[in-house]
Amino acid sequence: MRRALLALALIVTAAPAGAEKLVSTVSNPNVLITSSFDGASLSLFGNIEADGSAPGPYNVIVIVTGPLQDRVTRIKTNNLGIWSNTDHVNFHHFPSFYAVVASGKLELIAEPELLAAQAVRAEDQARAASQSTGLKSERFSGELVRLMSEENHFVLREDGVNFLSPTAYSVNIALPSDVANGPFLVHTLVLRNKQLVAERSEGFSVRKAGFENFVFVASRQQPLLYGLICVVLAIGTGWLAGVAFRR
Amino acid sequence: MQIYLPIAELSMNLFFLIGIGGAVGFLSGLFGVGGGFLLTPLLIFSGVPAPVAVASVTGQVAAASTSGALSYYRRGGIDLHLALYLILASTIGAMIGVATFSWLRSAGQLDLFISVSYLLLLGFVGTLMMIEAVRTLIRRRSGVVTRDKLPGQHNWMHALPLRIRFKKSRLYISVLPVLAIGVFIGWVGALLGIGGGFILVPALVYLLRVPGNVVIGTSLLQVVAMMCVTMVLQSVTSQSVDIILAFCLMLGGTVGAQFGASAGKYLRGDQLRALLALLVLAVAIRFGLTLVLPPSDPFSMAIIAGGLK
Repeated sequence: MRRALLALALIVTAAPAGAEKLVSTVSNPNVLITSSFDGASLSLFGNIEADGSAPGPYNVIVIVTGPLQDRVTRIKTNNLGIWSNTDHVNFHHFPSFYAVVASGKLELIAEPELLAAQAVRAEDQARAASQSTGLKSERFSGELVRLMSEENHFVLREDGVNFLSPTAYSVNIALPSDVANGPFLVHTLVLRNKQLVAERSEGFSVRKAGFENFVFVASRQQPLLYGLICVVLAIGTGWLAGVAFRR
Repeated sequence: MQIYLPIAELSMNLFFLIGIGGAVGFLSGLFGVGGGFLLTPLLIFSGVPAPVAVASVTGQVAAASTSGALSYYRRGGIDLHLALYLILASTIGAMIGVATFSWLRSAGQLDLFISVSYLLLLGFVGTLMMIEAVRTLIRRRSGVVTRDKLPGQHNWMHALPLRIRFKKSRLYISVLPVLAIGVFIGWVGALLGIGGGFILVPALVYLLRVPGNVVIGTSLLQVVAMMCVTMVLQSVTSQSVDIILAFCLMLGGTVGAQFGASAGKYLRGDQLRALLALLVLAVAIRFGLTLVLPPSDPFSMAIIAGGLK
């Protein structure tokens, strides 16, 4: 409760100056991964505080960006009857998760210049991260976005914002079960007449908790000991099974 | 019931993992092989990242082979002297294998290499086993009394220098082919996430002429030792051994192996070998098809930094 109040206090003080102010909060600032983790669902609540001179209608775009990774996209081609990877493009600091949730078709609620400047579309993210140029970069960027979308790591929902009143909204964000661990950034854009009138950034984190965290940390900090424990576990299990089934 | 795998960083169904561990364990108990050559492709096909699958299957193979090796040890079916040489050599092989694995992964050719190696290795061994098994089956049907292989027969490998006497196997042979076989098995095992029992047993029988009563026990001990070495090496270098995944597979695998071993008593040796040959050939053909058939998606992606896959 105290944390929620603190978050609310931060929200109020951090809101940008302008005709409209945006207050919002994430339902769960710490997503913990435990042994039964099977993906998570988060809600984002927001309220647009207008000063009466410029009433709505408002549109909202929420962009969720997961921890950055370096990725490679490869293409297989047929050489002498055998399919093998022959070309690739690297993508540096590319989001492991990217969700765009909007209250309408992006091109209908925002100017194209604004979308480009904010790099809203996943393709813009891929283009910025691409270590190649020209047509090849375009082609591999498009394919990477498609692959990420197929694995539910990239999401575009143009009808995903629930307006509770003309100025209050909620957004649901589903994280897949193989979500990357680390800090997530939530960037919200409020638009009126296709123009940006308010924006806000906040974050949440996804991390392993309890035993899962212990195992992961052990494998990174004490790899030799971790390997030896794996060996003892394997031989112990094999030995136990042998003894148990002897009769 | 979903269970989260902290190193693979994804969740899978617990019963599915125990189930495939058990099914592969059953086959491994039935045929006396580790089963890694089935389990690794199955895991990769189910969405486990290839490095995690290859590294974690070593745990299951070690566990499944331990109970077998113990029962052979009690019966005196292990040539410890020969096993020691094989283990030392395969440790060196495993080190080279783990290094090759990381190099291929960064070069983006791991998939191709794994497919080609599985195809060649399994295709070759499977075909040999099939020919041998069919020949025995036909002879048996026509009523001819088959003569077992003569363990005393020598080939050119026995004439190489540095000869050593292996008492239990009643062999006085050069140590060079023994070491060469060990290094090769270690390299292949670390690279493909397989124990290599299905290559080691024929190599010991046909190349070194190790007598039948110590072949399987010695091979099993060598597989246990090598899988343990590989597990530690993978933990230190690629850090991709998932202990939770390995344990789920072990649980199913060790129990399945016991049932497989008792089911194996109802089948004759040549029938078992023919079935195993069919299985090995089926896996080889499956890998061959992925090389020749156009892929459903020519594009693929992988994480190269900031993640584990």
